[in-house]
Amino acid sequence: MTLLLMLPALALVAAVFLWPLLRYGWLSLQASSVLTALVAVPNGGANWRRLIGDARFWQDTAQTLRFAGLSIGLELLLGLALALLLHRPLPRRGLMRTMVLLPWALPTTVMALGWRWILNDPFGPLNAGLAVLGFPPFGFLSQPSSTWLFTVLADVWKTTPFVALLLLAGLQGIPGELEEALRLEGANGWQRLVRLTLPLLAPYLLLAALFRLAQALGVFDLIQVLTGGGPASSTESLAVYAYLNAMRFLDFGYAATVMLGMFALLLALCALVLLVQALRRRSGAAGLVP
Amino acid sequence: MLMTAALLWSLLPLLCQLLTSLRTPEALVLQGAGAWLEGWTLENYRLVLQGEPPFWRYLLNSCLVGISTTSLTLLLAIPAAYGLQRQRPRWRSALSLALLVAAMFPYVLLFLALLELARALGWGNQLLALALPYAGLSLPLAVLLLQAAFADLPQELEDAARLEGLNLWQRLRHVLLPLLGPAIASTAILVFLFAWNEYPIALTWISRADLLTLPVAMARLAGSSVYAVPYGAFAAATVLGGLPLLALVMLFQRQIVSGLTQGAVKG
Repeated sequence: MTLLLMLPALALVAAVFLWPLLRYGWLSLQASSVLTALVAVPNGGANWRRLIGDARFWQDTAQTLRFAGLSIGLELLLGLALALLLHRPLPRRGLMRTMVLLPWALPTTVMALGWRWILNDPFGPLNAGLAVLGFPPFGFLSQPSSTWLFTVLADVWKTTPFVALLLLAGLQGIPGELEEALRLEGANGWQRLVRLTLPLLAPYLLLAALFRLAQALGVFDLIQVLTGGGPASSTESLAVYAYLNAMRFLDFGYAATVMLGMFALLLALCALVLLVQALRRRSGAAGLVP
Repeated sequence: MLMTAALLWSLLPLLCQLLTSLRTPEALVLQGAGAWLEGWTLENYRLVLQGEPPFWRYLLNSCLVGISTTSLTLLLAIPAAYGLQRQRPRWRSALSLALLVAAMFPYVLLFLALLELARALGWGNQLLALALPYAGLSLPLAVLLLQAAFADLPQELEDAARLEGLNLWQRLRHVLLPLLGPAIASTAILVFLFAWNEYPIALTWISRADLLTLPVAMARLAGSSVYAVPYGAFAAATVLGGLPLLALVMLFQRQIVSGLTQGAVKG
């Protein structure tokens, strides 16, 4: 009976999550593109061989990892700082949280469009600021070497509030008496942070990191609107590449293969994070376990 | 002091947009000390609001999708969450873990197969059809949040209602759901925000200009050339597109925070 209550929801979840993965598994073994008039013809794993030798796929993999690594690192650091700030008694706490939360709530495409103006060369506000300081205008969005840093900036701006709220939940679960006891022992603020707060916060940091890892590896909206993957594909992410294969090159078989490749990468990274966590637990790093 | 820095960091880019939206194209290009005194205008807003289709159309579309998604999700998630809470612990934690994995999944990966489904079923350019994939994507988190709320209710409460002879529907409707108000509100607002902001699926399912949701309409604006783009009008569009969210966040700040933090504590 209780199982019956869950059935409609589980069926819809399976249709939306499991069906695509099965379908991609099948599609990745077919040639299905404009060349075959979009009819699926089995091609004996040619898509997978192509993936292994596809320089653009591996370049996008490296670029996606670089984006994910830097943005997650910064978001955890800034999110922790913001959570510690919001945890203290504040006047008008509700209003403060609203203001801090706002970037996270805005549609990504809206805020990406906003950042495109802020980073505009030469008229955007950031370049206007540089001009006031006497610097020449800088092409924030036209440097193959550094434009990806500004995609990270926009992502950090948008997502730090989310990380901060997760960590804030963790902070609120730490009994105030513990902190007080450490204070009486003469521990200063930094020592209290390292010896008490961080270890107790570890499960929340892990959760935030895993959650952000999955989202950052799939980054799509932000890149597509802010840079379109450019300049010279230097900010293209795996999701953007998969989208191009499907919607621009109309090669569904290969697009499915790229997406499965991305999925495999995600699984491997999550397994790695959890493995490191398990090893630390075994080596007895006290408190660092969920 | 630090708090001021945090507020500046999060609000400055938004203020930039607001100021830009009020400037004439000439003023945006002009730089220099005197430039701040003149060149203020509401013309950008007129342009955006009288565009073809007018901007409020996108807001309306997004609203429709948001409301239908939220209703469908709650309709399916509430019984599912109750059912999940009543499973044996082992079975329950296995299912919860699967739902957590689904909730974290980068759903952009799913768009191609979902698009094929939409084409096969003739759901392209049907605004309300978007509620189905959106509900499917929101359900894992919604079920987990509501299950945690059911778990917080004392079991004796339902037992007593059962002894009174109330059937399952009556127990849910008259005893349990009234106590779940706050959890349902937080879940609803998070689902609504997701549906309002979703991009890749709306992008591939909807092509008719008058049916676009707000995020897709904004991206289409951005798709025009990088040079000679009407940035004042862009900015006006971002301000108009951001205002409903500002209102939502101000009204439901408490529910959003508790929804997100519940997810963290119970997940």
